[in-house]
Amino acid sequence: MEEIVTKALSLRIEALEALSHVQDEKGLEEFYVQYLAKKGLIPGLMTLMREAQDKAAFGAAVNSARTDVTAKYEEKKQVLAKAKLEAKLASERIDLTLPGQPCLPGRVNPYRLVIDEVVDLFLDMGYEVCEGRDVETDKFNFELLNVPKDHPSRDMQDTFYFGDDYLLRTQTSAAQAHKMLEMERKRPIRMIAPGKAYRRDDDDMTHSHQFAQIEGLVVDKGISLAHLKATLELFAKKMFGEKREIRLRSSYFPFTEPSVEVDVSCFNCGGKGCAMCKGTGWIEILGAGMVNPRVLEACGYDPEEYSGFAFGVGVERVAMLRYGIDDIRRIYQNDFRFLKPFSIK
Amino acid sequence: MNVSYSWLKDHVDLQGITPEEVAKALTFAGAEVEGITRMASGTNLVIGQVLTCVPHPDSDHLHILTVDEGSFGTFQIVCGAPNARQGLKVIVARVGAKLPQIEIKASTIRGVESNGMCCSLLELGVDPKFLSEYQKAGIEELPEDAPVGETDVLGYLGLDDAVLELSLLPNRPDLYALENVAKEVGCLFQRKVTLEEVKDVPTVFPSCEVGSETKGCTLFCARVVKGVKTHESPKWLQRLLSASGIRSINNVVDIGNYVMLLTGQPLNMYDADKLPLASLIVRDDLEGDFVAMDGQTYKLQEGDLVVTSDGKPMCLAGIMTAEACMVDENTKNIVVEAAYFEGAPIRHTSNRLGLVSDSSQRFCKGVNPHQSEYVQCLTSELLVRLCEAEEVGETVLFDVIDHTPHRLDVTLDYVNGRLGTSFTLGQVSETLLRAGFVNVVEGKTLHVTVPPQRIDVDGKADLTEEVIRILGYENVPSTLPTLSLCLTGLTPKQKAERSLRRHLTYSGLDEVVTYTLQSKQELEYFNYLTKAEAYVLQNPMTVEREAVRRNLAHSLLSLASYNANRQAKSGRFFEVSDIDAIGVQGRHLCVVFFGDRPVRPGEKASPYDYYDAKGVFDSIMESLSIQLGRYQLAPWSLGGEEMHPYQTAEVRLGKQLLGYFGTLHPNACKRYGLKNAVLLELDLDALLGIKVSPIKAKAPSRFPFVERDLALLVPTKVDYESLRKELLRADPLIVSVDVFDLYQGEGIEEGYRSIAVRLTLLSEEKTLSEEQVSASVKKALDGVAVRYGAKLRQ
Repeated sequence: MEEIVTKALSLRIEALEALSHVQDEKGLEEFYVQYLAKKGLIPGLMTLMREAQDKAAFGAAVNSARTDVTAKYEEKKQVLAKAKLEAKLASERIDLTLPGQPCLPGRVNPYRLVIDEVVDLFLDMGYEVCEGRDVETDKFNFELLNVPKDHPSRDMQDTFYFGDDYLLRTQTSAAQAHKMLEMERKRPIRMIAPGKAYRRDDDDMTHSHQFAQIEGLVVDKGISLAHLKATLELFAKKMFGEKREIRLRSSYFPFTEPSVEVDVSCFNCGGKGCAMCKGTGWIEILGAGMVNPRVLEACGYDPEEYSGFAFGVGVERVAMLRYGIDDIRRIYQNDFRFLKPFSIK
Repeated sequence: MNVSYSWLKDHVDLQGITPEEVAKALTFAGAEVEGITRMASGTNLVIGQVLTCVPHPDSDHLHILTVDEGSFGTFQIVCGAPNARQGLKVIVARVGAKLPQIEIKASTIRGVESNGMCCSLLELGVDPKFLSEYQKAGIEELPEDAPVGETDVLGYLGLDDAVLELSLLPNRPDLYALENVAKEVGCLFQRKVTLEEVKDVPTVFPSCEVGSETKGCTLFCARVVKGVKTHESPKWLQRLLSASGIRSINNVVDIGNYVMLLTGQPLNMYDADKLPLASLIVRDDLEGDFVAMDGQTYKLQEGDLVVTSDGKPMCLAGIMTAEACMVDENTKNIVVEAAYFEGAPIRHTSNRLGLVSDSSQRFCKGVNPHQSEYVQCLTSELLVRLCEAEEVGETVLFDVIDHTPHRLDVTLDYVNGRLGTSFTLGQVSETLLRAGFVNVVEGKTLHVTVPPQRIDVDGKADLTEEVIRILGYENVPSTLPTLSLCLTGLTPKQKAERSLRRHLTYSGLDEVVTYTLQSKQELEYFNYLTKAEAYVLQNPMTVEREAVRRNLAHSLLSLASYNANRQAKSGRFFEVSDIDAIGVQGRHLCVVFFGDRPVRPGEKASPYDYYDAKGVFDSIMESLSIQLGRYQLAPWSLGGEEMHPYQTAEVRLGKQLLGYFGTLHPNACKRYGLKNAVLLELDLDALLGIKVSPIKAKAPSRFPFVERDLALLVPTKVDYESLRKELLRADPLIVSVDVFDLYQGEGIEEGYRSIAVRLTLLSEEKTLSEEQVSASVKKALDGVAVRYGAKLRQ
């Protein structure tokens, strides 16, 4: 083999050897200048072409040197670039456990969580939402609801009065009378009315002079107690779990007849009996009944044609049961530490 | 109402039914039993006799007894009772006995072995109000004939009774009578009921007249009974009363209470010899003083029902007898009254005077007016039997009550339709009969007669309740109603409010709920938005809560204060609440920030300021699609020392104040103990009432926009919004103006500040040339220069 061809071949080997020792981009740059740049050693070989006797063999040797070295060089370049990026990223290591940029949603008082959830449930069932007022008249809070003046059941609800006629409503049932009276043609009603109510109770762990109720009312032809039972069953399952059952106990409210108290099977012990249900397996959650014909009549519905059911859910009671709140006053205190777990649903 | 289980057993067959089962059945049928109390309790008890009694050598009050316990043998017991003595028959709690408070163990007391305990009734759990001081001080002394070795000690003492505590609802006043409880229990368990058999005693011509001159009394029935002897009641009567929660006084008074407990009819007894005239007339027009048997003087006023004799008040009707004619140990001749008084006047008088008795409570709730004759017979018989009465006068009666039985018709379809059940006619008829509603079936209709004591039943809906409460609510099927399809769901306003609340929550604000009532003084705080007269309670419970708030600011700032006092360093929260004032029904939104904004570690803390409120406000308006222009912002003009006069903005809709937001005045901060606070309160009703134009889409320009930054020197009295509007107005190509830097101080002329703004220029028709942009910018600069004296900063 011609010496000059051997030289080209050994330059290739030398260059590849040198390339393998390159450590960084600076070294690579130097390598490039030395071997591959226009004035580098490999292109420089071409100047010897005329000295070559077997020009084809020499040309092939030089070309292969250039192609091989360039390919290896590119390869090396990429490896180094990748390593450099790796190093840069490594230098950007942060403490993943530090707090994030604050953008948490606010907390929602459990009172509101319960109202929104119950309202949503009944909205899904095709109810509408009515809003009553805190300040009511005696007529709407009592008389239209079959509680005439001097009726013994007024004693059940010690009322805040502003004078003879105006008072703070003692129950959201006042919304029933409003709704029934405002229906122009007496059409069917299905409504839910969340709101505040007030009674002259001393505030303690389980009593509050202010509390919230959610009133439900359905009036139509042929409404029965069986419809009420199924509706409340659905409510209990949605609020307290699919396995819950309800039972009805006879009770008394002036505006319903028959009237019932509704118990839900204890969601803490599943009905076996525990401290939460006082060993009975059942927890009282609401009052309900068939709308008293006198109420329908007073509100312009013919009780021979229409019937209805109504129920009233104690919002704080549901909140206390669901979230294990020990004292009703906490709901109105809004201590931030207390609100902490109550995030939006 | 306390019901003695053993008394109940006298009137209804309760064989094999425990007090707990009775309680459960009553509770489900609508008469809640809140608790069951045993008169006394204890296991391992025996009647013993003290054989020897010697003082304990190591004590000044203990005795060492040997007690004969019959077949159990003789035991040594150390006893501390002062009345322990030889020969005494005692109650022994043997080793292993469980008493309400303790368990008895064999022990050594000061070196002497003791095997058991001699008991007082107190230690068996008997309510101290039924015991004498002597009984309370020592061990119970049993009669000499007490059988030693008897282990059913509670039975022997008549203390094996259980008391059911009934919490009655207003619809069942009849259950204030034991007879009616017996009927109810008999009906629920389908057991035989035995009522008191009354044999009237021979009577003589009456020596008394009665009457009523008021609508408040429609029935007055009396008998004069002569020659009664007052003494202690027999044991059975004493026990029965104490189980019912009433203390025994003497035989005459006890009979009155017994009859009331049994029949629900309150009785009143007068000492006949102390009445000015043999006449009792009910009136409601007396005024003046009334000295009651409790020794207190009460002022009568028109409307109070009073039983009078010769025009003088002898009894506050249905509430309390006068001291002047009360029955005492010397009484010989009495007048027994069984009357019907309306609940309303009794309640008014009772509430006004703060005077409540077993009798007044019954009248307030409603008394069966159809049984006065029966009650009188029952009473007379007892007075003869227990008080050795010599002569009973015939009944004298004033009565304008219609005693015709109440009849109702109800159809099977009505019952099943209302209950959603499919009971048969036979089931309904039989069930009503069980509850005492005699009925006749005709076709599918039942003609029902309401029993006289059920004064609550006045319509056919009530009959459906009777049927289902007796047969049980578990018999009601569960069927969801099929409802006709119609448009329901939230109204647009409700939707908007809900979105707004969500928006605020997701913006990091907590949603809170606070009390409506506040003090009169607090009413005046932040009184800017709803200025109508406030509702002030006639009967507040405390001065802290006597009026309905007209704004939310004070409630929310108090909440900030509450949390700041509990180490909270900052907070941001809101409430949406109804606002009621006289003639006004509204709804407000209030937002409060206090303390520092949340920061990441290493960032510098900065306190919340005006711009946090403005940011929330702007975002609310944006979310409601209400653009500035529909409303106006104006500097604070309402004065006071609650809002910072130069860092508060009013939101106005023409002349109407829609709300305000800004920094709290330092004096107000002091009131709440806060370092800083920012407040926003809006009339949400008005805000949600603003009509907004529907969304209209617009295609983006096909041409690029151009931005130009300008640093303007602007007189400090010119606000940014005015500057912005003027810049926008200068040329239609200027489509937006945004501030990005502010500077005031060194290098800036006195009275000026530097405002750096970025103008965005855009044409819908072409790419803007440099000349067009420059011309627009020049117009803008000229505009603000002329209008506000603003100039380009060099």
